[in-house]
Amino acid sequence: MRAAAVARAAALAAGLAAIGAGPAAAQKAQWTDVVYVPGYWAGGQLVQPPAGQSTDSLALVMRVDYFSAPPKWRAEIRRTTDGTTMGDATVLVGEGTRALVLTPLGATPLDQHALGRDPLVRAAVVFDGTGHRLGAAAGRLVERLASGAVGRVVYRRAVVKPTFDEALLNPGGRSAGATLLASGISAVGDQRSASVVATAGARGVDNIKTPAGNVPVTPDTAAITRMDHYHVGTVALEEFLRAGGLGPYAAPADSTTGRHP
Amino acid sequence: MTRPSSRAAFGAALLLAAGWAAPARAQSLLDRLRQAANVARALLPISTPKEIEIGRGIAATIAGRYPVSHDTALTRYVNLVGLTVAGVSPRPDITYHFAVLETPDVNAFAAPGGYVFITRGALGLIHTEAELAGVLAHEVGHVNARHVINAIRKSDAMREVKSQIDIQGAVLDQLVGGGTNMLFMGLSRGDELQADSLGIEYASAAGYDPGGLAAFIGRLSAHAGEGALAAFYATHPKPDERIERLHAIAAREHLSGGVDLAARYAEMAK
Repeated sequence: MRAAAVARAAALAAGLAAIGAGPAAAQKAQWTDVVYVPGYWAGGQLVQPPAGQSTDSLALVMRVDYFSAPPKWRAEIRRTTDGTTMGDATVLVGEGTRALVLTPLGATPLDQHALGRDPLVRAAVVFDGTGHRLGAAAGRLVERLASGAVGRVVYRRAVVKPTFDEALLNPGGRSAGATLLASGISAVGDQRSASVVATAGARGVDNIKTPAGNVPVTPDTAAITRMDHYHVGTVALEEFLRAGGLGPYAAPADSTTGRHP
Repeated sequence: MTRPSSRAAFGAALLLAAGWAAPARAQSLLDRLRQAANVARALLPISTPKEIEIGRGIAATIAGRYPVSHDTALTRYVNLVGLTVAGVSPRPDITYHFAVLETPDVNAFAAPGGYVFITRGALGLIHTEAELAGVLAHEVGHVNARHVINAIRKSDAMREVKSQIDIQGAVLDQLVGGGTNMLFMGLSRGDELQADSLGIEYASAAGYDPGGLAAFIGRLSAHAGEGALAAFYATHPKPDERIERLHAIAAREHLSGGVDLAARYAEMAK
């Protein structure tokens, strides 16, 4: 009887230890890849160097925001087709190397979706079989073609201590379909409910307390509406980072992650 | 072995007995239950949409106190620097908006939901983009740590709030008013120091010289007697303590390197 009780206690302790070391061990990661290809934008057209020729110029083609808790991950892909603006997000969710495209109607395997034939989208699946990220956590990553020429250059920057909701990694999750935008660069503001605007303008004169005493203030909701509608585009922000040598653009050495298809 | 149901019944009997036998003690118990209920109410989370709604109201009051600048080039520059540091911070559920306030007062404010302001007076004392990044990252830290929202959750106005839907109308106005007063009277010392920690981390992760925030705070000391700094000194911990702590964080976290971009700041912000 006593031996059985000890065994049960040991099993319980082992079970608790396993629980502690199990799901909680999945480390969240969040980062952004900004993808360039050799060439330049001219009049809304991407001009790429002839095959076999190298070029010093790089053209921004895509930004991908990643959210990962291995083995699951989510990638929000925005592409530019003119070099100045980014399009709407295409959302992929996945587990290991298996990727699904989220659409308003549901989830479709990437292999069976038209996007599966797009080499840039396929290259955005940067995970191994266990769902861990391929390549460095941050910095400049260069992918080469079989010829040795540069295929893509990825500038990767990581988010500090990510806290996103893991429900976003589930294809059928309540909020999986919601577009989750890193760093607020795009138009999340447009998704806010009308009630935000409706109720915030209803307030009259306030008396605010300051260290120098009470001050009457009339809230200026129009100024905040202007702030809500003001956006700095992704392309402009990347140019700003690049010009300043900030984040991944300051990386002293390249990390080669593999071959670009 | 006592079954749970009989244990609960025994406990309830004891409580009832205590109530009949000693009314004063029962009253005390009821008080404690009420207090526990108040604590539970105070812990009611405020959803992100409601946080934005409250933040928008607070931001409107800040913009009523000090006019928001119409200088488009400066606004764009401050947004670019702000989004650079916000880009490495972990709140993808909100959009950050940055604006300049036209006042010679030296200060910066962060309303919940991502509305961040810096005054023209503060920009005049800043020498490098790394310093601006440090100040904005400190404000982003306040937003990310939900300092104002957490203080609001503990406020009296939340007593009537039982769910998110109750945060509207007069209750919303009360929460906005309370949050605005907190910002103008100053957040807690602990909140300010935590925002410093987050700020240096974000600025450094974005690629800026991590010494930017400390350099700016140090420069404020040289202007300590000036009227434009009165509100800042009344609402923030002592500069020496903050600088010492920032240097300690940089050493502990091995934060070094980065760029200060003084020339770009001189070109864009003057």
